[in-house]
Amino acid sequence: MPPPNTPEEGLITRTAESLALTSISAPPATASSPPSAPRTRATSPDPNNRTTCPSRDSSDLLEIDYQILEYIDSVDETLLCPVCRTPFYSPITTTCGHTFCAGCINRALEVQPTCPIDRQPINKTRDYHRPPLIVKDQLDRLKVKCPNRGCEHICSREHLNAHYERRCEYTLVRCPDPWCNKRIARRHVSPASACMHREVSCRYCEQSVPLVDLNTHYDYICTGATTKCSDCDATVVLHRLEKHRLDDCPETIIRCKWHIAGCKVDDKRRTVLEHEDGCPYEIIGQLVKERAEDRKTIENLTDRLLALETERNETNERRARRREQLTQRSTPSSTSIYNPPRDRMTQDELLALEDPLLAPHFVHNNHHNNPDDLTPTGEASSSHPSRSSTWVSPEDYMLARFERLEARMEDLSKQFLETDAHQSMNLLQQTMALNQQLVELGSKVGVLSMHTNWLMNMQRHKHFQQRAGAVAAAAAAAGFSSSVASASMNPPYPTSMPPQPPIPSSATDNDNNIVVNVGGSFGNGTRVVPSPVGVVDNLPPRYPNGRSSRRNSEGREMPPRL
Amino acid sequence: MAGTFATKRLGKELAKIHESLPPGIELVSADNFEEWFLDIRVLDSNPLYLNQIYRLKFKFSAQYPIEPPEVVFVKLADRPIPIHPHIYSNGIICLDLLGQQGWSPVQNVQSICMSLQSMLTGNSKNERPAGDEDFVRGNRLRPKDINFYYHDNDV
Repeated sequence: MPPPNTPEEGLITRTAESLALTSISAPPATASSPPSAPRTRATSPDPNNRTTCPSRDSSDLLEIDYQILEYIDSVDETLLCPVCRTPFYSPITTTCGHTFCAGCINRALEVQPTCPIDRQPINKTRDYHRPPLIVKDQLDRLKVKCPNRGCEHICSREHLNAHYERRCEYTLVRCPDPWCNKRIARRHVSPASACMHREVSCRYCEQSVPLVDLNTHYDYICTGATTKCSDCDATVVLHRLEKHRLDDCPETIIRCKWHIAGCKVDDKRRTVLEHEDGCPYEIIGQLVKERAEDRKTIENLTDRLLALETERNETNERRARRREQLTQRSTPSSTSIYNPPRDRMTQDELLALEDPLLAPHFVHNNHHNNPDDLTPTGEASSSHPSRSSTWVSPEDYMLARFERLEARMEDLSKQFLETDAHQSMNLLQQTMALNQQLVELGSKVGVLSMHTNWLMNMQRHKHFQQRAGAVAAAAAAAGFSSSVASASMNPPYPTSMPPQPPIPSSATDNDNNIVVNVGGSFGNGTRVVPSPVGVVDNLPPRYPNGRSSRRNSEGREMPPRL
Repeated sequence: MAGTFATKRLGKELAKIHESLPPGIELVSADNFEEWFLDIRVLDSNPLYLNQIYRLKFKFSAQYPIEPPEVVFVKLADRPIPIHPHIYSNGIICLDLLGQQGWSPVQNVQSICMSLQSMLTGNSKNERPAGDEDFVRGNRLRPKDINFYYHDNDV
C-alpha cells in the first residue's frame, strides 16, 4: 500500500498533464521524477533543483483536476462533456450550439477543425461562446468530494477550490524549506519550517526514509531486523512484535472476551476465538455491559441534578437577598416610588441586561449621564453608588426594574381614575342644562299646538253654524225652481273644494290679530278675529268632526307668541 | 501506457460498459487502458453471419478519444473474421468512422461496436474486398497508417 500524501503521486502527475493542456511550455521540475518509481527519491538531490528557489505564493498549489473528481450523486447526461465524458469544466458553447469543456474542444480542434458532433467547421476561439448561465449554475451545484487523498470533505463544486486552496489540511503545499522543491501535505508542515523531506535512516532497516514518511515506513514497509515470534513461529519484524502479540498471534494466550462476565477460559488466541463464538457467558456479558452503561448514565444524570440543585439554591438566595434590600429601601420613600416616565430602555441598558458583567458598570455610568434614570425621584442621589454596587446580577437588576415599573403603573392607574371622574362630572353638568332647555322647548311646543287647535276649532264651529243657517233658508225656498237651480250651482262645502280666494296682502295686521280668510261660498271677504291670547282656557273641548279647513292651517303664519 | 486523458475517458467508458451494454455486444477483457477485447454478433437473421460471434480488438493511443482507436477483428478457433466487402481477411476494417477523417471524439467503444454491428447487418454480399489476398500478403502497415479510400457508401 502506498503511503498517503506522497507528494510525488497523484496531483503532481496530473498537474504535468493539465499544464501541458494549458500549453505552458516549461514543465514543473517535479514532473521529471519517473512515474514508475514514485516514492524512491534520488539519494542525492538534483543540483539543478537546489539552485531554484521557488516562489511561495498560493499559485504554487497544484491545480485541481476536474476530470478525476468524484461526484457524489449521479450527474445528468446532459452535463457531461461528450469528449471526456465528465461534467463540463469551464465549458464553452460552439456556434452550432454544442457545449464542451474548453480543454477538450481545444484538443479536438487541433486534430480536426470541425465540431465533434455535427462536423460543422469551427474556428478556434472565434466560434466559442459562453454557455447559458443555467449550465454554470447546475455545474456549480454538483456535489463533489475533495480530490486530496485522505480528505473526506464533500462540498458543492463551486466551493471546492476555496476548500482546496485554503482549508484542506491534505492539500500539498511547497515544503517550507526553501532548498527543497518537494511538496508536503499542509498538516505535515512542521512549525519550525524544517524540511520534512530530509532523509533519516530507519532505526531497524538502515534504509533512509523521508521524515514525513517515517511512521508509515515503520508500520507498513520496513522489513529490517526480522525475528521469529516465540509463540507461533511466524517471521515478524522486530519492532512490530509487540503489536503482533497483542493483536494477531494465534498462539498467544489470551482470555475470553467475556471474562468480565465470569468466563474462565484462557487459551491460545486460535482456540479462544473459536470459543468466543458460542461462549455461554456471552448473554451475561451483554447484560453486564448494558448495566455498566446504565450506571454511567445514572451517574451522569445524578451529577447534573446536583448541579441544578446548587444552582437553584444560589438563585433563591440571591433573590431573597435582593428582596430584602428592596424592602429596606422602599420603606422610607414608599410614597415616592415613582419613576419619571421614560420612553424605552437605552441600548446600554439592554446590553447590560444581556451581559451580567456589564451591569454594575453600566448602572454607574448611567448615574452620571442621567441622574433620574433608573432612580426613584424621591431618593437622594447619594444612595446611588451603594445601589449600583449591589446589582451584581441581571436578576437583581430586573427585579428592581420590575418593582419600579409596578409602582409607576399604580400611580398611572390612580391618575386615570381621577381624570375619569372629572370627565363624567363635566359631562353631567353640561347635559343637565341642555335637558332643561329641551323640556322648556317641549312645553312651548305644546302651548303652541293648543293655540292652533283652539283657533281651528273656533273657525269650524262658526262654519257649521253658518251652514246650518243656509240649509234652513234653502229649505224655505224649495218651492221656486229658480232657487233650486241656484242651489245646485252652489253645492255644499264638503263635497267639493270651493275655489281659493286670493290671499290678502296683509295677512297679519299690526294689532297682532290673526287675519283669517273664512272663505267658502258663504264667506265674503276677510274678517278680523281677536287674537287668542289668554283664551286657552276657553278652548272648546272637542270638535265633532276632525276635518279642518286647509286654508286656515296652511297659508297663515302663526304669531310667535309664547 | 496511454496518457492520462485517455485513461480517464476509458475509465468512464469501462464503468459504463460494466453497467450495461446493448444486446449483441459483450466485453471480453479490459485489463488495461491500452487494449480491450469485445465480442459482437449480428442480431437479425442475416444468413451470412447467423450464429456467429466475432471478436474485436481495440487498441487505444494516448490521444484517444481525440484520435480514433485501432479496431480489428481477431481470428480465433471459434471467432472467424466476418465476410464483408470492407473487411479484409486479416481482420482489418475499412470504415470511415475509424479513420482520421471520419472519427469524432464523441464516438466511443460502444458506438463503434454498434456501427460495426449495423455494417454487418446491412451487408448482403458474400465477398471480401477487391485485392484482399494481395493486401493481406503485402501489408505491413498498421491499420491506422493505411490510406483507405472510402468510396462505397452503400454498405
